[in-house]
Amino acid sequence: MSATIAREETPFRRFVSEFAASRLALLGLVVFVVIALLAIFASLIAPQNPYDLAQLDIMDGRLPPGSKSMVGYTYILGTDDQGRDMFSGMLYGLRISLAVGVGSALFAAVVGTSLGLLAAWLGGRADSAIMRLVDLQLSFPSILVALMILAMLGKGVMNVLLALVIVEWAYYARNVRATAMVERQREYIEAAECLALPRWRIMFRHLLPNCLPPLIVIATQQVARAIALEATLSFLGLGVPITEPSLGLLIANGYQYMLSGKYWISFYPGIALLVTIMSINLVGDQLRDVLNPRLQR
Amino acid sequence: MAMFGARVIWGTKMRPSFRMLSFVICLTLGRAHGQTLGIASSAPVTSIDPHYHTFAPNDSFGAHVYERLVTRNAAGDMIPALAVSWKVRDDRTWEFTLRDVKFHDGTPFTAEDVAYTLNRVPRVKNSPASFSIYTKAVTGTEIVDPHTILLHTAGPYPLLPNDLGNIFIIPHTLGPDPATEDFNSGKNAIGTGPYRFVSYNPGDRIEMERSDDYWGPKPYWKHVSYRIISNDASRTAALLAGDVGIIEFVPPTDLPALRKDSRVTLSEVVSNRSIYLWLDHAHDGPSPLVTGPNGEVLARNPLKDLRVRQALSLAINRQAIVDRVMENAAIPTGQYLRPGSYSYVPDLPPTPYQPDRAKALLAEAGFPKGLRVTINGPNDRYVNDAKIIQAVAQMWQRIGVRTTVEAMPWNTYVARAGKLEFSIFLLGWGVGSGEGLNPLRAQLATWNPARGLGTANRGRYSNPAVDALIDQAMGTMDDGAREKIIQKAMKLAMDDVPVIELHLQKNIWATRKGLEYEPRVDEATLAMGVRESK
Repeated sequence: MSATIAREETPFRRFVSEFAASRLALLGLVVFVVIALLAIFASLIAPQNPYDLAQLDIMDGRLPPGSKSMVGYTYILGTDDQGRDMFSGMLYGLRISLAVGVGSALFAAVVGTSLGLLAAWLGGRADSAIMRLVDLQLSFPSILVALMILAMLGKGVMNVLLALVIVEWAYYARNVRATAMVERQREYIEAAECLALPRWRIMFRHLLPNCLPPLIVIATQQVARAIALEATLSFLGLGVPITEPSLGLLIANGYQYMLSGKYWISFYPGIALLVTIMSINLVGDQLRDVLNPRLQR
Repeated sequence: MAMFGARVIWGTKMRPSFRMLSFVICLTLGRAHGQTLGIASSAPVTSIDPHYHTFAPNDSFGAHVYERLVTRNAAGDMIPALAVSWKVRDDRTWEFTLRDVKFHDGTPFTAEDVAYTLNRVPRVKNSPASFSIYTKAVTGTEIVDPHTILLHTAGPYPLLPNDLGNIFIIPHTLGPDPATEDFNSGKNAIGTGPYRFVSYNPGDRIEMERSDDYWGPKPYWKHVSYRIISNDASRTAALLAGDVGIIEFVPPTDLPALRKDSRVTLSEVVSNRSIYLWLDHAHDGPSPLVTGPNGEVLARNPLKDLRVRQALSLAINRQAIVDRVMENAAIPTGQYLRPGSYSYVPDLPPTPYQPDRAKALLAEAGFPKGLRVTINGPNDRYVNDAKIIQAVAQMWQRIGVRTTVEAMPWNTYVARAGKLEFSIFLLGWGVGSGEGLNPLRAQLATWNPARGLGTANRGRYSNPAVDALIDQAMGTMDDGAREKIIQKAMKLAMDDVPVIELHLQKNIWATRKGLEYEPRVDEATLAMGVRESK
């Protein structure tokens, strides 16, 4: 404790030290950063480009972990039924999963936050209209909505992203509206209004920053949710194209071989998915504790 | 009179439940003596009515209770059943001599039952897929005597016995227009077959017991429990647990493990179901999903060039697909029929794997830098369908054809294929009749729905020389002469690569150790074929 007291206490420093108070959350963060780096530099790390069919050889299909490939390198996690190196496939798969997860959470945050703020600010009919849309959206299970959208649009990474944005924006809108309604009554907003600042400026410069803490928490949870949802859709064969598998599709490919002892096709992507989602959730939980004023120590 | 009436009630009303009781008793005793056989079928039987739905599981069950005039043995050859013999009287008249047997209810089988059945088939209400396609060739029936019947056709129709090999005969004593529901309840489920119907629980199971006055060889099993287990893993599990004695459609992913399992015996035979790629012959201009090497639209459809079609075929390593994707549950093929079938073409082997020649042919056709294509396929219809097209894409990539793979659910897929939206797409075709005229007429004849020709010609292949030979074969009543014409037509067509044939699937059954099954080309799972191994 004495070491921290010696330094000057800024809000950021306090945030960091409170976050680091949980070893588990810190571990989650480290794991997530490692996974993100692996995914970003997948094309440099992976021994094979698993999306280039010319680099796959069906004669190398379903080799157990540690087997040698025909061109020399070792399949450290084995191959799937098309002769795809599982390690490379997982790195590329992680890239899709993370891109889709983070991307959809970001887009959904922009859309949901704007609409939520607008509802809180305008009130009345606009508020009712937006919130009823949110209610409607939340009354359907998200997997069902995503399935319907993909059935209409067809497969593809962009379509999955779009489907996830449509599924997720309502969570942001509802939360932002609730926070903004409370913040709107505060004195600093009244003060800003007395200064005759333009409305958009009050909304984005004064109201929005004060709604951010709960938003960050929701965003981390939604990233994890989006990754799981993308995996589910791909597992069901509706997500990404079969020649560019994400983690969910890799699991689906190996699923039918589980009983015949070729566990590695499903097992390792499953572990990767589990670790990714868990690390994000650990970070998210700690963020929620740190950013929640009611739990302030 | 009163006594007589009571006896009638005893006879008709009490007997089924009494039969049921004795069945249950026998079932319990039977298990101990190995006299009950459990069969696990992969798809539900949709009705006990043998004329309700042209659907393989219905036929597979139906063959236990009912019989046809002509039937097929395990190898797919036509053999006499309720007809002892048949002959061509003239180009438009067939004469069938009938067997002297009795139905399960004791009434004798006569020519009247044949006429009655042929009349009933097209009149079944709400049939999802009618058997009338197999009876429509018959324009009239003429009963000569109780065991002789003449069938008239509008023109020469050599395939009549093949067609009648799909029609189960029911007794005319059922009265006019018997209802499908009465078959399902068991009231009308009366045939001449080796098993009597006992009970039907839709989606779950059908119970049968041996008919002891059956005319043919006495079946080994006294009781048969025909169960529906559509989940692949559950079916395998049911066999390993000993719940059933035999399972059909063994999933290929389980094959390597089951081949090593000492508790199980596998029976397999090459079927007449081939898996192949349709090529777009419909578009003379650009084909929807084929472009030049840099994605540029081509003025003409390259698939119209025989050299391109040959190149695509030569680039495929069929043996690798069979070994690695199909787990040897298939054999490479170059035609629709299995070796040994009537009208199989001996000099039409599977296309060899020659990637270098494929490249040379592509260059010769004006595409030295290759092409870009999309290959489409279903992902829920044929064994390993989506995996097969991925493997083909890998191989095409190696000759410079940049291939995108798109797999989708069957319903979407078949609708889009029908609108000619694809350029290269995977399909399967089971030749039920076991002879070459069937694929020639349905697939390779010029598309002409009005004449019933080319109805499954999804690539719109058209070759007048092939069409002429098909017509010639259809008018040839002599089996030997017709076989030559069919072989000539098939050779002519397949050398033109209308489709790229990949492999013929195997039908695979697994039985408990100590039992063996005579594997059937027609996919049917029959209790009559299961016996104890010597």
